[in-house]
Amino acid sequence: MSGETKVAALPSVHAVRHGSAWVPQGSQFSGLYLREIIKTFRNPFVIVITIAQPFMWLAFFGSSFGNVGNSAFFDQTVLHAPVGTTFIQFLLPGVLSTSMLSIGMFGSMSTIQDKRFGFMKRVLITPTSKATVYLTKTLGSATRGLVQIPVMLVAAWAFGVPFLGGVLDWLGFILGLTLLGVGFSAFFLAMTASSTDWQTPGVISNFITMPLMFASGALFPASNYPSWMQLIANYNPVGYASLLGRQVVVYGSFDWTYLGYLAVFAAAMLILGTAVASRYLKVE
Amino acid sequence: MSDENGDAIVAKGLTKRYGAITAVDHVNFRVPSGSVFGLLGPNGAGKTTIIKVLTGLSDMTEGKARVAGYDVRKEPMHVKERIGWVAAEVILDDDLSGWENLWLQAKLQRLSGWTARAEQLLEYFELSDRRKDKVGKYSTGMRKKMEIALALLHQPSIIFMDEPTIGLDPNVRRMLWKLITGVNREFGVTVLLTSHYIEEADSLCDRVAIIDHGKFVATGTPSELKSRVRADFIELETKDEVSEERLRAVPGVSEVRSQGKAWILKVSSAEDVLPGLFAALKGDVIRRINVEKPSLESVFIDITGKRMDQAGGGDVQDFRKFYMQVRRARQ
Ligand SMILES: Nc1ncnc2c1ncn2[C@@H]1O[C@H](COP(=O)(O)OP(=O)(O)O)[C@@H](O)[C@H]1O
Ligand SMILES: [Mg+2]
Repeated sequence: MSGETKVAALPSVHAVRHGSAWVPQGSQFSGLYLREIIKTFRNPFVIVITIAQPFMWLAFFGSSFGNVGNSAFFDQTVLHAPVGTTFIQFLLPGVLSTSMLSIGMFGSMSTIQDKRFGFMKRVLITPTSKATVYLTKTLGSATRGLVQIPVMLVAAWAFGVPFLGGVLDWLGFILGLTLLGVGFSAFFLAMTASSTDWQTPGVISNFITMPLMFASGALFPASNYPSWMQLIANYNPVGYASLLGRQVVVYGSFDWTYLGYLAVFAAAMLILGTAVASRYLKVE
Repeated sequence: MSDENGDAIVAKGLTKRYGAITAVDHVNFRVPSGSVFGLLGPNGAGKTTIIKVLTGLSDMTEGKARVAGYDVRKEPMHVKERIGWVAAEVILDDDLSGWENLWLQAKLQRLSGWTARAEQLLEYFELSDRRKDKVGKYSTGMRKKMEIALALLHQPSIIFMDEPTIGLDPNVRRMLWKLITGVNREFGVTVLLTSHYIEEADSLCDRVAIIDHGKFVATGTPSELKSRVRADFIELETKDEVSEERLRAVPGVSEVRSQGKAWILKVSSAEDVLPGLFAALKGDVIRRINVEKPSLESVFIDITGKRMDQAGGGDVQDFRKFYMQVRRARQ
């Protein structure tokens, strides 16, 4: 204890403001978002897991029809795609879209960890709103999810997927995936806002992943589905992202309607989620 | 920052209920700016809850509080800009370095030009050379100091310290006592601390409120409180049961209370009463005897009829419980 070192008094940092109960959130927002990013890259395990899963779908599931060879019948009847389309090429957009489904899970888990370790108290005892905490966790999750896109594209190239479509089409598809990731992260974090149980995120992930993955047209064309599954697929954002991507990857064209739908989905989830978290985000 | 009359904290009818449990029950108090105020009470008395309610971490059920000049209910964000908080369980981001923890605190408190002050704080707490290490690797004492540095970074007018020395070994505890006094004097910060250690409250606090079951049972300076009890207490445990009448009959004994297997006798002066007591107990085997001269402990005994550590569940048990909680939280 060095008693001699005195800390000089600085001019008061906060001016007195009477009348408004609101404090700007920009600084808190960037601090907490950067914390998410820093922690992600200090724990590469999460990134490895995030990437491994879609990669394995592409490698194993995508090669399931490897022996069919160049079959016009398969392309036309099963994939409903132009002759010469490979299954991996058909599957790539679907796998990328599906992988956005559960990226909110890690964000939920880190939020629950913050509650259990008391860190949430440390944050909320500063002039930081619950909405800020929620939004930074959501964007942190989405950012982690996006890391897998470049890796998957390189993998697809290695598997011989031809890159049809222009650069702008691809950027549009990546924007669509981003919106999908933000939407599902927002949904996931809102669902677990009041939870302090480690198991909740896994349970929710299992619950939503299966139906939304299979009833989406991500793995096979939805036109092969029975009508009740088609009904789900019609409202499933994973399906819209898959179709958007398939337009680019298989046909080299772009459909703005799908992108618009994804933007509405992301915005709606963010607005609803912020409202839910502002009210129900638990401190501990 | 304080109210016109110089109070850093004013609480009126402060009440917090968790379902059927009333954790804090219509508590009133004022903390003058620049002073050290202590909440002393056994485990579960409601000390942490008072901090949570005053800092806006949890909503009060009833009552009013002004902290650092702002209404906690109406302007919690402005209160939060002006307070620092040191948790009982030491809360830091273990994945970040000491410097990064300070950086994050600066971001959360919207500070600009904070680095010079952060450097000075690190210097003051002798953490400068470990600034780049992850705080997960710090010793317990260093972590505690880091937490206090975080709490001071934004120049709060009030700092809340919940059980600042719980679970620390005696050396670190003494070091912290000096530090808390230093922080109060050199930084001019009002300190509200909670404790269930008698000596801690006695030596650090200008004023102490003794709290039991969510209610303030006594408030005053430590010496005022002690002078209020003009009696000694003798705690007595014998091998075979001794009847209450026999103890009452000993000259100088004014009150007899049972506490589990032991008796607590309120006496005018232990020195005068002990010979008579031993004479009365001639045939009995004394297992344990303990004299409590006027202290904050005897104030607590006088009012509640039990020892503070007995009321909470004991020091050792409490320590173990605390660490079990922390460990459970980390699993
Ligand atoms: N979140 C909570 N939910 C229900 N009861 C609680 C909660 N927090 C504290 N309590 C109860 O309120 C009382 C006071 O607790 P606390 O303020 O932590 O006491 P202290 O800090 O003095 O040990 C205890 O009976 C405790 O069980
Ligand atoms: Mg406590």
